[in-house]
Amino acid sequence: MTVFHFINCAILTFGPHAVYYSATPLSEYDTIGTSIKAAVVYLITALVKLVCLATFLNVSESDSFDPYQELLKASIGFIDVAGLYFALTQLAHRNISQNHKFQAVGLGWAFADSVLHRLAPLWMGARGLEFTWDYILQGLEANANLVFSISLAALGSLMWLRKNKPKTLIPIIYACAGIVATMPSITSYLRQGLGWHFPKVVGFELFSSLAMAFISWQLFAACQRPSS
Amino acid sequence: MAKSQPSMLGLPVYSSVVPLLIIVMACVELCDAATVIDVYRLVQYDLAGVPFGSRLAALNHHAGSSLFSSSSAAGTAAADLSRTVLILPVRELNLTFIREYIGQRKPLGGLLLLLPPLFNPENVDSRGGSDHGSAEDVIKEVLIELEQLLINANIPYPVYFGFEDDRVNAVLADVKKNDATGQPATATTGGYKLVVAAPEPKKIASPTIANIQGWLPGLKADGDSNQLPTIAVVASYDTFGAAPALSVGSDSNGSGVVALLEIARLFSILYSSPKTRGRYNLLFALTSGGPYNYNGTHKWLRSLDQRLRETIDYAICLNSIGASSNELWIHVSKPPDNVYIKQIFEGFSSVSEELGLKVGLKHKKINISNPRVAWEHEQFSRMRVTAATLSELSAAPDFLENTGGLSDKRYFVDEASISRRVKLVAESLARHIYGQEGKNVDIFADGSSLSINPSYIHSWLQFLSTTPRVAPFLSKNDPLIMALKKELADHTVEVRVQQEGLDGIFTFYDSTSGKLHIYQVASVTFDLLLLLVLGSYLITLFCFLVITTRGVDDLISVFRRPASRKVKTA
Repeated sequence: MTVFHFINCAILTFGPHAVYYSATPLSEYDTIGTSIKAAVVYLITALVKLVCLATFLNVSESDSFDPYQELLKASIGFIDVAGLYFALTQLAHRNISQNHKFQAVGLGWAFADSVLHRLAPLWMGARGLEFTWDYILQGLEANANLVFSISLAALGSLMWLRKNKPKTLIPIIYACAGIVATMPSITSYLRQGLGWHFPKVVGFELFSSLAMAFISWQLFAACQRPSS
Repeated sequence: MAKSQPSMLGLPVYSSVVPLLIIVMACVELCDAATVIDVYRLVQYDLAGVPFGSRLAALNHHAGSSLFSSSSAAGTAAADLSRTVLILPVRELNLTFIREYIGQRKPLGGLLLLLPPLFNPENVDSRGGSDHGSAEDVIKEVLIELEQLLINANIPYPVYFGFEDDRVNAVLADVKKNDATGQPATATTGGYKLVVAAPEPKKIASPTIANIQGWLPGLKADGDSNQLPTIAVVASYDTFGAAPALSVGSDSNGSGVVALLEIARLFSILYSSPKTRGRYNLLFALTSGGPYNYNGTHKWLRSLDQRLRETIDYAICLNSIGASSNELWIHVSKPPDNVYIKQIFEGFSSVSEELGLKVGLKHKKINISNPRVAWEHEQFSRMRVTAATLSELSAAPDFLENTGGLSDKRYFVDEASISRRVKLVAESLARHIYGQEGKNVDIFADGSSLSINPSYIHSWLQFLSTTPRVAPFLSKNDPLIMALKKELADHTVEVRVQQEGLDGIFTFYDSTSGKLHIYQVASVTFDLLLLLVLGSYLITLFCFLVITTRGVDDLISVFRRPASRKVKTA
């Protein structure tokens, strides 16, 4: 449509990241360095993922849903988890509490993802004359993705960094992490396998992201209790 | 910290996300990709320096559907349409209003006229014949009038022709619905935007016209030094119309060209054997520049050798002979009691009786001082060559009238009647050549090797009905000219293409066709609203995050700080 529309969509896509950073204590503790490191790790992970996808995946002519290919794609998607693991445990962070660390990593991760996947289509498309809802939906998707990333980072920090957590919660944490990590495959299945339209998929993503955020919050809180 | 207010989670986020989702869901059916259709621009030309036609090519305005959408309803002054492209289907066109509108030179952003698919040259399968409905004839009449109106006006905005199809009709229905609510399409209400990206039309430098001629030499008697007499069969092949890219002229003069080619084919069979070769040379000429007072015919005749021109006994010009009627006219400019004219007319009328056709003779004197040449034979007469035009038109057309424009499409041309007329011309020529006048012989009898070939006529008619032939837009080696040349070369000898410049008073401009992009655009109001929604979403998100992670007191302090600063500066 116009530059105005582009600005609107950009605000929707990238605004929440900035708001999250400035509203939470992340800004007080100056965790931007951690977020940038996480973003760099994300870029490297994305590169590795691309190489893997190009190597192992066939290019399908049709848009149909192929379970085997999707399974392969999902397993390649777990490279993300490895990247996140690296960002959470291997990177040296200046005295930052675990609490803030996972948020900073998740934020950097989500922001890098938005820039990498959404900025270019937005720039190419949203300034065009034709009005579509796609870019607004894409912005909403970026919001959902931010929540997913932070949830995953929270679960990751529970899994890898917290030593004394209640034994009963461990399987739940792993299950939740598994669900969040496979979310891209789930949405791709909804879109192609079930033929859902984009708005419906985005609605599902928003809903499930909030649900997962709530669950991981509860898990995090539950794990924090004995330590405090 | 994180566990401070877990119960509140979700509620504020939902409160902002849910309305957003509702808006998204409600409007999702609106979104579809940009539509692109082919459009054809109204001709733009200067006649002796006076501008005519559409003077602009680039289009970028909102769509409207009616000339007086809000003026009649609200009773205010006429709506400002200077930034609106009107989409008008020709089916429901009100000619009086449009004539008034163009006549008063009222401002308009642009005009898109939608023709019924029947008039699309691509649509050659729509067979005509004697059974076509009256609705089509009504539209044809409207189109003829509209075409005359448009090509004789100077229109300061772009005018395009398109064809009705599902996509355009859907857009039009939407636009009409919007117009019915009384809201003119502007930037604040959204709607559709029509864009044709076209550069400024440029003058066509020195347009050329190409005449194509071919010979069938007759058989000379031994020792006869005199030149054989010649009979010329002539048809002009080019067209002119409101949309140059749509001017295929199936009847004017595609039918004449088809007939000429078939006659050439028939006589080439006869002339291929010395036994049946006649004592007449046959000269076939496809001339250009027909709409411009037969400029090409004039130049072609001039270039002919003087001695050769004198051997021409007479010339038969074929013009518009494709309609399904039984009446034909022989137009002459010499008095009917002239020996040659009498001979031609008697030859034609005796054959026509056998074929069940009716041929009349029309005499129209030439006014040498008048530059208008209404019939092709008049160019011959001006050169003192006896000539006649065979046409279904009973009266001489006006300048740029009946030149194969918008309405002259395949649908209205009847192959069978072309076949009959080919037979009429060929038979009467043959009887004259072989001295069989008045005798009841059937040289081109059906079923014989000399019978008329309907599939030949069909395929050439099909080709010509899909090929726009406005001479200034044809290049020197245009496939059409090459095809006609090759076809004549197949039947005749000494085929020659003569390239001439079109006489100076005409200037044509290019960009005759383009792609129309139809965008559905959202209004500025929508964007403002979206910005508001997004702003409140982000603010809510901010408050929520501050409250959950730092507490309410922090939030209050965040908002208090800038306020106190303001007080200080003031």
